[in-house]
Amino acid sequence: MTAFAPRTDAAATVAPVPMTGAAAVVRALEDAGTDTIFGYPGGAIMPVYDALPGSKIRHVLVRHEQAAALAADAYARVTGRAGVCLATSGPGATNLVTGIANAFMDSVPLIAITGQTPTPLMGTDAFQEIDTFGITMPITKHSFVVRDPADIPRIFAEAFELATSGRPGPVLIDLPKDVTQAVFPADQYAAPAGRNRAPMPTSAMIEHAMSLIEQAERPVLYIGGGVGIAGAEAALRSFQARTAIPAVATLKGLGAIPTDHPDFLGMLGMHGTRAANNAVHGSDLLICAGARFDDRATGKLDTFAPGAKIIHIDADASEISKLRNADAPLAGDMSAILDALKPAAPSIEAWRETCRANAVKWAMDYDAPGKGVFAPALLKAISERAGDSFIATCDVGQHQMWVAQHCRFSRPQAHLTSAGLGTMGYGIPAGIGALFAEPDSTVVTVTGDGSIMMNIQELATLIRYRVPLKIVLLDNAQLGMVRQWQELFFEENFSEIDLYDNPDFAELARAFGLEAFTIDHRAEVDGAIDRLFAAKGPILMHVRIDPKENVWPLVPPGASNADMMEA
Amino acid sequence: MTHRLDIEFARAEGAVLRLIGLVERKGFEICAIDMAQAGGASAQLHLSVTPRDTGRRIEVLSRHLEKVYGVISVRLNDVHSSYLERAS
Repeated sequence: MTAFAPRTDAAATVAPVPMTGAAAVVRALEDAGTDTIFGYPGGAIMPVYDALPGSKIRHVLVRHEQAAALAADAYARVTGRAGVCLATSGPGATNLVTGIANAFMDSVPLIAITGQTPTPLMGTDAFQEIDTFGITMPITKHSFVVRDPADIPRIFAEAFELATSGRPGPVLIDLPKDVTQAVFPADQYAAPAGRNRAPMPTSAMIEHAMSLIEQAERPVLYIGGGVGIAGAEAALRSFQARTAIPAVATLKGLGAIPTDHPDFLGMLGMHGTRAANNAVHGSDLLICAGARFDDRATGKLDTFAPGAKIIHIDADASEISKLRNADAPLAGDMSAILDALKPAAPSIEAWRETCRANAVKWAMDYDAPGKGVFAPALLKAISERAGDSFIATCDVGQHQMWVAQHCRFSRPQAHLTSAGLGTMGYGIPAGIGALFAEPDSTVVTVTGDGSIMMNIQELATLIRYRVPLKIVLLDNAQLGMVRQWQELFFEENFSEIDLYDNPDFAELARAFGLEAFTIDHRAEVDGAIDRLFAAKGPILMHVRIDPKENVWPLVPPGASNADMMEA
Repeated sequence: MTHRLDIEFARAEGAVLRLIGLVERKGFEICAIDMAQAGGASAQLHLSVTPRDTGRRIEVLSRHLEKVYGVISVRLNDVHSSYLERAS
């Protein structure tokens, strides 16, 4: 059987004629170029599920709606197209909420489709009725309640346009059951054309930014997730190559410049490298490309890059000067702006050499004492073994930071992480979405013993679709990041972080049908990596690590990035 | 400091809730509110707002409002700032 095909064939039906609202939904998705959706059926969305068989769309049945949204999020991040998730009303919709919020915080194009009780019952507290439209309003770019099936083509076309244009984000479409059941004359079906709203700075603004670059003596390129979202990494790399400006990246900006580029100093911020934070602190010009001066990146904001002028490039004008005033605000299309910036090369050779020397001087140390598995070294080795086909999907906690610090990324799509919301449980659904987007990539989910339990039911989805996800579970039998903070900032008052009663994870994975094994010692690592990469199907590598291992270096909360703590 | 925002927007389900919710979430208190039809399918929302702390900039709020789908223009005191003009 072909990989990714469900093990059992669903009975195909012919699309109903005349067209129902539900059939119009399916056609609108096809017209938008949707080939894969992630979902879970239920009462109010059943008409859409009735119309799905026989369509061109592949439906991936997950085991919890949150996983549908998170898988669609990852699918969007890898393909650059809108991901689509589908759920029923009430609890189906509320289970999507975390995934929608995740996409909102990380500016991921997502179409969330929810069933709703029939319009005459809306507002009556009917069975599985909830105000999905209201609940999701703060976490969507826009949302629609469809009241008339004739509006379906227009609304879906607008939803895809909105989700993917400008600063991308999630759009919700709530579908009352009577609307999807209503007959819709096919000859009224006409999808509107899309619109392009991207603004562009004036030539005077571009020239002002170029003059700042030409005058700079210690410039730093500060890269955020907006670069990858805009597909602007080629333009960014060209800009960096012609200016030779040292670069740092946020958690979401990793991969925009290859990790092993000699002018790349690493991640900045709370768990960034000392070389990156030191460069930013000493810079006289910060060129912010698709970043937003997030507190995890800046530390204490009024001490962040204190002597630097700011060029801020972003698709979203409302991000510019939100937290730090920009001397050169450049709102618009990221690639076009970067391509337009062609200053005379600044005279920064001494600064560049200082940054490079600092990167070497403060390089990460992998010579850990003891015989236990040292997670940073393991993750580095796995990413290097996978090479350019590597995609990491992370959960949230210490392991997430170790991935960011130690893995090699050759492109932004190689690092899928819940940066803004910090969603424990993102890793496995994201791995599923990534592999449906790029079946030939080597997708590795790095998770922890806390995070994996948030969406462990998706191991069943891996088996159902034979998704060859490689799961690396770093198990310290603790909520490690919380424990680290309690140790460092709460006077070792350890509260509710002990997960001593975890299940036998390898045994649990085998119960779902995965290949799985456990290692405890450093001597087992090479063989374990061989086994991980030899697996043809989904596999879980359970790694027991030292519960006292912390993530270093660290900027304490509320401190300046110049004041990093070391082990 | 109290600011006055005049927002012209396309009337649609949830549009008013979306606008006032955004103002609140971005750290501003709504002191006064008034709404009127503006002709055709649009409406005018007039808000008096004050920041909840000193870190909130009214210009940033104005830009957030401008990008809300269906918003035609946002006028901040005497400064007219139309999304459509800026994008053209």
